[in-house]
Amino acid sequence: MSEVIALKSPRSGTRLRIGFLRLTDSAPAIVAQEFGYFAEEGVDAELVEEPSWANIADKLAYGFLDAAVIVPPLAFAIELGLRGISQKLVIPCNLSLGGNTVTLARDLALQVRETAAKKKISAPHALAACLAARDRPLSLGIVHAYSTHNLLLRYWLATAGLEAGRDVRLSVVPPARAVEALQSGQISGFCAGAPWGEIAARAGAGINIASSDDVWRGAPEKAFAVRNSWAEENPAALKGAVRALVRAAQFCDAPENASYTGALLSRQKYLGVDSHAILSSLPGGAIAPHNQSRFWRGAAMFPWRSHALWFLDQMARWDLIGAVDREGLAARVYRCDLYRASVVSLGVSLPKTDSKSEGAHAARWELEASPNSIAMDPDRFCDGVVFEATPAQVTF
Amino acid sequence: MSLTILLIDTEENRARALEEKLSQSGFARVVRAEGPDLAAAVERAKPDLVIIDMALPDRDALEDIRAVSAASPVVMFAGTDDPAFAQEAIAAGVCSYNLSGVALQDVRPIMASAIALFKRYHHVETELAAAKALLNERRLLERAKAILMKNRKMTEPEAYRWLQKKAMNESRKLAQVVADFVADDENQQRESKP
Repeated sequence: MSEVIALKSPRSGTRLRIGFLRLTDSAPAIVAQEFGYFAEEGVDAELVEEPSWANIADKLAYGFLDAAVIVPPLAFAIELGLRGISQKLVIPCNLSLGGNTVTLARDLALQVRETAAKKKISAPHALAACLAARDRPLSLGIVHAYSTHNLLLRYWLATAGLEAGRDVRLSVVPPARAVEALQSGQISGFCAGAPWGEIAARAGAGINIASSDDVWRGAPEKAFAVRNSWAEENPAALKGAVRALVRAAQFCDAPENASYTGALLSRQKYLGVDSHAILSSLPGGAIAPHNQSRFWRGAAMFPWRSHALWFLDQMARWDLIGAVDREGLAARVYRCDLYRASVVSLGVSLPKTDSKSEGAHAARWELEASPNSIAMDPDRFCDGVVFEATPAQVTF
Repeated sequence: MSLTILLIDTEENRARALEEKLSQSGFARVVRAEGPDLAAAVERAKPDLVIIDMALPDRDALEDIRAVSAASPVVMFAGTDDPAFAQEAIAAGVCSYNLSGVALQDVRPIMASAIALFKRYHHVETELAAAKALLNERRLLERAKAILMKNRKMTEPEAYRWLQKKAMNESRKLAQVVADFVADDENQQRESKP
């Protein structure tokens, strides 16, 4: 009987341990692994499910992981040693755009919706109006201090004059505990990645009143961060891993594959939740999507320097980072050059610049790229601001 | 000197063992907590040190708590020149936060106890998981053989050889072939039912 467990296939390729959280936008890494895309590129990938961003950060910092599907602000925090020892990281590609929801407890959400409709004002302004009539401060959950969720939620609240710490209490609540925290009244809402808003809605605990797109259309969400030392020691494998992720992202972005991807992600070893809750935020997974991740279209995988600078700008705005050379840091971590070098053999179109104006497009537009231009979605911020990531804007 | 330690570990036996060990040593008072509102637990206990099972999602919440010292809790041996000790803790699956600036020499024996206990329990868990997997593989193999013997009138050795050959032809593990074979059969059974 011993042969039952003794029959192990020999492993080959460069070992790459990738950490991920139980989130819908871990899809490209999971698909690249399950379809053998990593293996075909000579990468012996091992996907490691982690229960917390803190684990991802510590395991990258201490060398237990080589790479991770990460929220970019956390990558900068690790690079700067803001929450533990520092580790140099590179981001050779982005992994997704959009996908977060702002979910409020049912009663509050209905009140906000009604106020917004009656007064013809935006959701954050309606929330501010509802708060003025409340006797106790509002408590909202985010997933980590150094998360896209913290930055997007603060941005959204600030458009209605609401400031975290003063008008709203922000506390970290792991998304897996969010439904429980909503029901117990510990929080009145939260901002988290898919599928957690949908899960709270299905449990009858909350209603999604905004998504990433309502804060910033096409907001960058997860990125692929790799330890710089691994990247330098394994240049060929790094490029192979990026190509594998490109193929996976193209698969995940095709609407006809949504149900397949949803079923794959719902497996116990990945998200371990109802596939329908996952499906609703996958491209093509819902008839009228209110929150959707994009993996490939609109140059979703390009690690835009301007995205990095927006994150750093917002981290500085909320005192999450001190005086750092943001331009230098962005260039060191967001490696457009590595992305270009990785995918050139695939013949995909590449942007002609490393930065773009963020928030300048209210309608669909064409991005100058080679060999062909790339069709882009609108990229407006909810307050209409245009973020120009020119070096002149950076202060030292 | 006595430190207050907040222990967040849902593995009951391990938590009790660590609590006993640290309390007996006399240099620590252990308070336990779990659940979604750790900020309240930290506020109540005002611990010097938090020890937490890394398998729990609650670490992210802890990193944001500013209850004891004004600054955020310091994760494990950040800022020290002892990465090996932190690595040992991570490998064992346990992490600590220093909330009141306890001296490293006082933290070390406490964490050494925690690491030892987590290692021991991890070892037991992996052995248990391996034993369960093996049992399940055996159960499935028996089931697959029974299906072949019934449907294709094979003898037991024939059934075993048939499965072995299938695995070899498809260059897959026997355990996988067996699992898929049983699953397919169960699906067919389900579909054939009205």
